[in-house]
Amino acid sequence: MSESSMTRRDFLRTTAAAAVVGTAGMSLLAQQDAQKKTKVILIRHQYVVDKEGKVNPKILEEMFDESMATFFGTKNAGDAWKKIVKPGDVVGIKTNVWRYLRTPQELEQTMKTRIMAVGVQEKDIAIDDRGVLSDPVFARATALINVRPMRAHNWSGVGGCLKNYIMFTPSPPDYHPDSCIDLGALWKLPVVEGKTRLNVLLMLTPQFHCLGPHHFDKQFTWAYNGFILGTDPVAVDAVGLKIIEAQRKLFFKEESPMRPPVRHIKAAEEKHGIGIANLAAIEIVRLGWKEDSLI
Amino acid sequence: MSSILLLLSLAMTPSDTLNYSAMQRLVPGSIRGWQTSEPARFYSGREIFRYMNGAGEVYLAYGFNRLLVQRYACPNREEILVEIFDMGLPRNAFGAYTNMQGRGPVVAIGQAAEYKSGLLSFWRGRFFVCVMIDNENEEATKAVLDLGSRISESIGEDGPTPSLVRVLPQELFEPQTLRYFFRHEILNIHFYVADKNVFRLNESTDALLVQLKIDKSHLLLIQYPSSEEAAAAYADFTTSYMPEAQGKGWIQTENKKWTVCRMHQRYVLVVFDAVTQADAQNLLATLQRILP
Repeated sequence: MSESSMTRRDFLRTTAAAAVVGTAGMSLLAQQDAQKKTKVILIRHQYVVDKEGKVNPKILEEMFDESMATFFGTKNAGDAWKKIVKPGDVVGIKTNVWRYLRTPQELEQTMKTRIMAVGVQEKDIAIDDRGVLSDPVFARATALINVRPMRAHNWSGVGGCLKNYIMFTPSPPDYHPDSCIDLGALWKLPVVEGKTRLNVLLMLTPQFHCLGPHHFDKQFTWAYNGFILGTDPVAVDAVGLKIIEAQRKLFFKEESPMRPPVRHIKAAEEKHGIGIANLAAIEIVRLGWKEDSLI
Repeated sequence: MSSILLLLSLAMTPSDTLNYSAMQRLVPGSIRGWQTSEPARFYSGREIFRYMNGAGEVYLAYGFNRLLVQRYACPNREEILVEIFDMGLPRNAFGAYTNMQGRGPVVAIGQAAEYKSGLLSFWRGRFFVCVMIDNENEEATKAVLDLGSRISESIGEDGPTPSLVRVLPQELFEPQTLRYFFRHEILNIHFYVADKNVFRLNESTDALLVQLKIDKSHLLLIQYPSSEEAAAAYADFTTSYMPEAQGKGWIQTENKKWTVCRMHQRYVLVVFDAVTQADAQNLLATLQRILP
């Protein structure tokens, strides 16, 4: 065992250091605040999910439009879309259809409607998840929109925007070693590289814990009632992970890191260079409901 | 097309795996008004990734051979989905079950079972089985449990539980926290230790992880084929995890808790995150006395 190993103790050291910064390092954080390298929108609405867990599509649509206009600094959502999609584009909306926690179809349709309003023809827009490699529209796509819910995952720690692209490889198991640490490499596949215009990580009712490969239990979800939007998939996932971890601490009443630990988000920055995972370098623009935002 | 796939898959049938028709006989054609809605689908070895993505690695880590997926439909009712994993050996099926246990109430199906929120999981013999429905109600719950019972009866024979499980005094730990495995990736799912395989876990080792009642610390017990292999693993772990302990086998870690490790004959025992060093040392001394 000559090769050096990342151990649990490395994580414990990080946690201990974070605790010190939390109590005495505010000036350091303030300094870091001035060095933001990327931006995400965190938007929430108290009533976007009702008590039965059903999504209110109208509110979700309004949230989506508001977040787009704010992120791209435009008067309205339509102008924001014009910044990322042109009339001649062929657009693939990479969604997620996991049976227990899928992307709301209403949001998929809202995206499609907004893209068509820019001038993209309907035949040049596809919405797909597991069939992206056999979908003729995705095969000629010039632009990708990435949207999915955040959830705990038994092999990669969490499934977020980075992991959502695993369906773009004909051999997903190649990306499974070491808790899926190299998911960031997916974003350099020719079918993907340079095409992603938008990432939306849904945090409406995220799942913060799982036991086993396909475990879903409403007990381990909560109504966060929001989503994170940006062009940097790493930053979007890093913010989502921070919120999930905070919820775990609340629920389990102690520090409770994801199991297995999430390694692919940090590696996406440090090894694959496709975005920013360091929270201190991410500007979080908060819109809407602020209570219990956990970050 | 389906017959070609069937022939191809038959050609790949591992010798210790039930053939298609034998596996098909494990599932009934109907249950409480639900009927099979399409032919069963089969996935062998790495074909599991056609059915599930990263989660398939968990089953492969437990020696998975073949999966049968059967769907049941009933007018105006939710679909019931059955997954039967032929794990090749009872120890693999037991391991796959313990990997998921702790979800909810225990029910009397197979050799051990849990049911909660529409998902029944159980093991019997060399099979690990999931029966699930998305939105449960009283009728759906009965159908899922009856279906599980029928499958368990069809499996027919129990398999032995790994002998290592019987070594551990049951009163020490919360039973639903027990995990059995022989790959470090599974250890890391339940208690992350290191990215490298510092305990040299492999198919010839047996490992148990439990959460102790006394202080919620974790006990890891590993049985190796020989004392030499246990010694090598002990050296790897202590060198990489507690280098400053200089061979003493215990350390107070950064969270102010204690990790204590011992080797005994062909066993390695570790307590992680004990509140006091004395508690951990006493526990390991006790276990050393009762290990065969």
